[in-house]
Amino acid sequence: MRYAALIIPALFVALFLYALVKRVKLYDCFTAGVKEAVPLIVSLFPYLAAMLMLSELFEASGLSAAITRALSPAFSALGIPPEIAKLVLLKPFSGSGSTALLADIFSAYGADSYIARCAAVAYGSSETVFYISAVYFAGSKKNLVKPVIIALISNFLSVILGCLLCKIL
Amino acid sequence: MNVIFTAVFLTAAVIFLIADPEGFLPALLTGGEKAATLSLSLLASYCVWLGFFKVLEQSGLAGKLARAISRPLSALFRSDDREALALASQNIAANFLGLPGAPTPLGVKATQKFLAAKNAYAADMLFVLNATSLQLLPTTVIALRAAEGSSSPADIFLPTLLATLLSSVLGAVLVRLTAGRA
Repeated sequence: MRYAALIIPALFVALFLYALVKRVKLYDCFTAGVKEAVPLIVSLFPYLAAMLMLSELFEASGLSAAITRALSPAFSALGIPPEIAKLVLLKPFSGSGSTALLADIFSAYGADSYIARCAAVAYGSSETVFYISAVYFAGSKKNLVKPVIIALISNFLSVILGCLLCKIL
Repeated sequence: MNVIFTAVFLTAAVIFLIADPEGFLPALLTGGEKAATLSLSLLASYCVWLGFFKVLEQSGLAGKLARAISRPLSALFRSDDREALALASQNIAANFLGLPGAPTPLGVKATQKFLAAKNAYAADMLFVLNATSLQLLPTTVIALRAAEGSSSPADIFLPTLLATLLSSVLGAVLVRLTAGRA
């Protein structure tokens, strides 16, 4: 997967050369873009902070562990190994938490085991739904229940499918 | 969001009150600290990518990209707003390529434009497509597996792509089916 590392530098080189041909003033243009970064972060910050405090409480209070225990029989019935249930439940809340958990699973079961492969697919095919919803809809009065539920259902389906596909492929 | 926030916060707070009253404030502070450090690292990546995308925009390439896929895109988002569609198309492209940190500023800006035009449907669609994480290369996972001594770290590529593709399609279909309902 070495060639994956080429994507980003190649994109920059290609774009800057193209912009040069189009006579774009690169320095002025690039800095004009960077200028937008600070107001964007400032507008997101309150939602980010509230969301991360909430996910910290969720995790540290044991609420997340309790829900995992309660749901793991249902997960097994759907073909999701119990070791992965925690990952599936944590992922919507915490990107860094689920990355750490994924690394734990890899070292506990071996990176090439069925469990580890399932975990890799579950992690790679789902997203930190609550975090994204907080950021994308920051400050809007829109009802978020519907899009969040749809996102969670879709992510859940991809986990079930991923575990199934890992058995075949 | 208000309901979820209140419910989870209160439940967790009551658990702390009973089981571990001294752990409550440190947990909140850890969250705040994470928000501070995350904001800084997000700011760093926004600087890089917003600079990049400004060049993309001014060179006229962003407009070309958006025009090339404007038809399917405007049908998908039910929107004629060229600027918002251009942002959304770049957001999807950045997601697909797995450029870390790049999709978010584009997605946020596109969502703001969609919402300003009272197009909640488009905002939902873009959010769901982002939340189902359509990605060509799951770079983080591959790097982690390689670090843990996997013999072929990239062999989860195909199942991940298939699973995420199907979940994106399901998400888009669900948004479409429930359009117009709260």
